[in-house]
Amino acid sequence: MIRYAKLYWLFLAQRFKILMEYRTNFFIGVISTVFLQAASILSIWIVMLNVPVLQGWTYEEILMVYGLLTLAKSLNHMFADNLWPFGWSYVRTGQFDRFLVRPIDPLFHLLADRFCHDGIGHFLVGLFLVIQSSIKLSISWTPLLFFYTAIMVISGGVIFMALNLITCVSAFWIIDSVPVTKVIFETNEFAKYPLNIYPNSIRILMTWVIPYGLASFYPASYILGRDIGVIAWAAPPVAAVLLFIGYRVWQFGMRHYASTGS
Amino acid sequence: MTAELRRRLRAYLGISAMSPKLLTAYSIWFWMEFFVQILTMAIFTYFWRAVYAQGQEINGLVLQQTLNYILLAQVCLPLIENQLLLEVGHNITSGQIIMELLRPLDYQGVQYISSLTLAMTNLVTKIPLLIIAWFAFGLQLPTDTATWGAFLLSLFLGHAVLFCFDWILSCLAFYTTEVWGLHMARTGIGLFFSGALIPLDIMPPTIQKVVNALPFSQALYSPVSLLSGITPVAEASQVWLTQLIWLTCLFIAARAIFSRAVRKVTVQGG
Repeated sequence: MIRYAKLYWLFLAQRFKILMEYRTNFFIGVISTVFLQAASILSIWIVMLNVPVLQGWTYEEILMVYGLLTLAKSLNHMFADNLWPFGWSYVRTGQFDRFLVRPIDPLFHLLADRFCHDGIGHFLVGLFLVIQSSIKLSISWTPLLFFYTAIMVISGGVIFMALNLITCVSAFWIIDSVPVTKVIFETNEFAKYPLNIYPNSIRILMTWVIPYGLASFYPASYILGRDIGVIAWAAPPVAAVLLFIGYRVWQFGMRHYASTGS
Repeated sequence: MTAELRRRLRAYLGISAMSPKLLTAYSIWFWMEFFVQILTMAIFTYFWRAVYAQGQEINGLVLQQTLNYILLAQVCLPLIENQLLLEVGHNITSGQIIMELLRPLDYQGVQYISSLTLAMTNLVTKIPLLIIAWFAFGLQLPTDTATWGAFLLSLFLGHAVLFCFDWILSCLAFYTTEVWGLHMARTGIGLFFSGALIPLDIMPPTIQKVVNALPFSQALYSPVSLLSGITPVAEASQVWLTQLIWLTCLFIAARAIFSRAVRKVTVQGG
């Protein structure tokens, strides 16, 4: 474990050396996602100028839901973005063979190979939203609440990573796994808003099947002092189970890996 | 003269046939996009239903009008989210531009034709989406041909307006040799100010002023508001006129700026 932490640090340091070669491009990457986020947050703001509450949620409370989801998503974006191009730039090219002959876990190698700096902007937007929301709603941040939020954001990030991992394994068979990953990934858009605006079927789907809601709606409810019971604590165990399943699926896929043969 | 014209027409026709082929070559990608769009439509529908749960009208729009508008805006979205900036930018930064300029066809003309056919193909493939939106999300489409005609003409003009605007932005690539950041900024700003996410009618007056100063709404809000019944067909000629004025100004600017910028071209590697 310590060895892997040290290795990750080395990979990260290398990656930053590469990124710093093109400093302008680095900063462009960091702020690139901000524009898209701004467009969608501004839209919610304008809508909420006209209606004060959305199914019992005010604008500031929706920002908390949105912010928590963005934070969780940004962890995935920064640390596990290499799952996206896995199919076309590692399996198809045969680059993946390189990982198999090294004395470290191939999945670790894949993730550590490219830290994605575009996720930094994502993270900052999420942080800004959560802070903005808690100032407006004057939430008192006790150490316990802070700890709770950090755990939930990390668990949310793991949920994103695990689902992307499960879907990206399809690359072992179909090479181009991006459409498969994207179909599941894009459902996270549901979780940007309070889940009670949706019919029951979608709420159950986003809670128990594709549990992005556990990363946003439920922790936000808890932070805002709404009584929702034990489900406020569901994210860490669900994330652990999903990660376990993801890793087993990955191992299963690895056994079916046939190299390009060139 | 006619032989020359016929030769040109054939060349453009060949180019226009390429877009649909490119679009349908990767069918799994096509279905993925299709699914994601249904998802987005569902989110928007439930969101707006929740918004309207407490009032009948927002700035003069009732729920049905807003839903019609939002669903149709989703269908027309590919017009706003085009790749022109990336494509022309890539041509410029990779040096491919030299090959393009050497061809005996007008580079802008070639790009316009392929952009237009891509947009049209996109729209045709979105027809099943309209049916799903009608069936599952309560989209109501007009039945009179006049509205459809007004919409299509406005869409055509709007696409040309945005094409010229994107073209001017692309010319920046001659100076910056980096377009990714520009593309992302343009997409975000375009999404918001075109009215793709919310109907422009409910925006506060100060923001509407910015909207009117930018060309994005000409390409999306103008046609879609005609089709969704927010703008009555009787006012269509006014909409077209505004679009034509935008088009004329931006077209002249685009031609002038390109012919100036192209002198800047420096291709790496000689």
